[in-house]
Amino acid sequence: MADTNAPKPSSSVKLVLLGEAAVGKSSLVLRFVNNDFQENKEPTIGAAFLTQKCNLPTRTIKFEIWDTAGQERFASLAPMYYRNAQAALVVYDLTKPTSLIKAKHWVAELQRQASPGIVIALVGNKLDLTSDSAGSAEVSGDGDDTAEDSGDARKISTEEAKTYAEEEGLLFFETSAKTGHNVTEVFTAIANAIPETSLKSARGPGASHAGVSRTEEQRVNLNGPRDANAKEGCAC
Amino acid sequence: MAMGSIGDTLWDVVICGTGLQQSLLALSLSRSSKNILHIDPNDYYGGAEAAFSLQETESWVDRLATEDKGLFRSASITKPDVAGLSFPRAYSLALAPQLIHARSELLSQLVSSRAYRQVEFLAVGSFYIFKTPLDPEQQPSLVRIPSTREDVFSTTAISAKAKRGLMKFLKFVLDYDSPDQRDVWKYFADKSLMDFLQEHFKMDAELKTYIITLTLSLDGRISTEDGLFIIHRHLTSMGHFGPGFAALYPKWGGISEIAQVACRAGAVGGAVYMLGAGIKSMATAADEIELELTSGDKVKTKLLVRGDDSVGDEPIISRLVAVVGSPLKSLFEPTIEGAPTPCVAVVALPAGSLTTSGEANTYPVYVFAHSSGTGECPNGQTSALTITTSDILIVLSSIKPFCIIHNMLGAKANWKSIGVIYLSTMATSNSKEILSRALESFLSAVDHNQVPQCLYQLYYEQAAGVKQSRLDGLTLDLPGPSLSLSMDDSLLQHVREAWKKVVGDTVDDAEYMVFTDREPVDDDDYE
Repeated sequence: MADTNAPKPSSSVKLVLLGEAAVGKSSLVLRFVNNDFQENKEPTIGAAFLTQKCNLPTRTIKFEIWDTAGQERFASLAPMYYRNAQAALVVYDLTKPTSLIKAKHWVAELQRQASPGIVIALVGNKLDLTSDSAGSAEVSGDGDDTAEDSGDARKISTEEAKTYAEEEGLLFFETSAKTGHNVTEVFTAIANAIPETSLKSARGPGASHAGVSRTEEQRVNLNGPRDANAKEGCAC
Repeated sequence: MAMGSIGDTLWDVVICGTGLQQSLLALSLSRSSKNILHIDPNDYYGGAEAAFSLQETESWVDRLATEDKGLFRSASITKPDVAGLSFPRAYSLALAPQLIHARSELLSQLVSSRAYRQVEFLAVGSFYIFKTPLDPEQQPSLVRIPSTREDVFSTTAISAKAKRGLMKFLKFVLDYDSPDQRDVWKYFADKSLMDFLQEHFKMDAELKTYIITLTLSLDGRISTEDGLFIIHRHLTSMGHFGPGFAALYPKWGGISEIAQVACRAGAVGGAVYMLGAGIKSMATAADEIELELTSGDKVKTKLLVRGDDSVGDEPIISRLVAVVGSPLKSLFEPTIEGAPTPCVAVVALPAGSLTTSGEANTYPVYVFAHSSGTGECPNGQTSALTITTSDILIVLSSIKPFCIIHNMLGAKANWKSIGVIYLSTMATSNSKEILSRALESFLSAVDHNQVPQCLYQLYYEQAAGVKQSRLDGLTLDLPGPSLSLSMDDSLLQHVREAWKKVVGDTVDDAEYMVFTDREPVDDDDYE
């Protein structure tokens, strides 16, 4: 582990959320960003933008999250969101088979249109509605078949989605935005999967990789015009 | 409003087109409670300021071949038979690779509206002049233009006498708009800056060329008033956002990225977006317009704001965009300690410095060389095991052709780093050849031992649009896109007027583009 006193390099990662209406995209983000959950949340209109940091042992990732409206009728927002996005979170509702079909559609769209190196995570949400949601139970994905308890609303088996994710090279998780289960894990896994060379603005002394440190020197900060009297940039 | 059918809503405004101006309008209205429908007949964002992947470039060129209307024409793609291109989506070629000076009003508006947080700004580095050798046996070279007093002091490229002249001029420009100094140039205001420099500063041809290059004047005949304004902006922009650079370039396609960021802000504010929806027909009643869209929808709006894409009087420019297989490293060195590594370099090939079939170029050619840091081409990494080289995208602009040359070496699995080069010049009967020649000359001047290879070229011509906005009842037409090679702030006034038209007179002008962050932001993030 690196010296915890040394500032870690920090990078921004543009992440786009895609998926059918009402699968819980905004709720996942709300859980991740505010550790909060709202029952019967209003549908997202248009789009939303949020940010949240994710601390890794060697660096800090700042997610810039673009939440698209699932009911968006004209499919016109997504193209401007996944342009230059480094990560995509494609969400389905594991109690609703059509939502996985829609998710596969989004994955295909991303593979066709988005940046070649985009990291895609497939997420089955609403695990709390299934019988394997109890407490802190791990979603192992090892094929423990869904129990046949009453009240299990699961319609898409872990195995089915996991197999698909493996075929397509996607990260895969089952989550509950309601209980918070696996939510942070999704974002941490994405953060870990982003290749260092694609990080757009690494900062700090820990940025040792040549490609990263070069990027670091390129970005211009517009945070207010610089004071003409300030000694700029140069510490010597 | 997004939940009902778009036909059921009486929209406060329908904005047609997602070029820079319309997108900035969407941004300016993004915190208002207005119902906004933002449509674009194209299936991409950005209009005349779009940035394209290679696939999108191809379909754009194909469409122009069949439709042949609007401001663009004569587009063609040339792909030399060499391997080396990466995935088509790894490229983002800008139709409008404009520089933005640090003192541009656009940047102030992006900061006050908080939209700047979504944009990654890069430094534009040095301006160079292409110099043909007196001895034809010698190689051409690139000479950096000294544009600060420190630069002038330390340069070895010009004589002591020229240094004194240049110093005197720089001092004059910093104060050019004061009552005293105005008297000095008033008589020349509408006359050529070249004449003023000659008459008043007795500059030699070379020094005049340096000064004209800083104005990026496409025909080289900029007026004294406009020229002094631009040079003043250049000098006062130097150091404004950090040492060593006067202008910025937004990563991922320049102005195109700003248009997209502005549209995203519009969407977050609740505007409804529809691509592939143009206006098929319209019927105007007393206080609303009914529009039939090409998507088949019918909508009603209180106001329609469009971009005027009819051809204006101004000249046509030729542009060439090239992808090349070299990082052109020497062009992207910071010139001052502590300066960010520039991702864009500007090179002027003056009038008369190029020859094609016996004819010299009448107009200067401007070359904007972009490194892979702009995100417009891949960074040339081959794999985790091999050494990273950087890429270069070069675009050449000329008043007539605009061409993209895309050049990558090696097989797909092993392509080299590249850059994109944008060339622009005034369109003339031979401007296409002039730009090809300019590209070759530029590349050999960068490295005559190992001339970078060109992997891909896009050529096109762009006509100037109309210059004024026009209000006709409930329809407001914004002026056409600017052909200028640097951001022309005068366009912003038209956007502001359109905003006023939508929000009405009860809203204070001081509120224009002044928003708080939607998200708490830790400013330390970027320090």
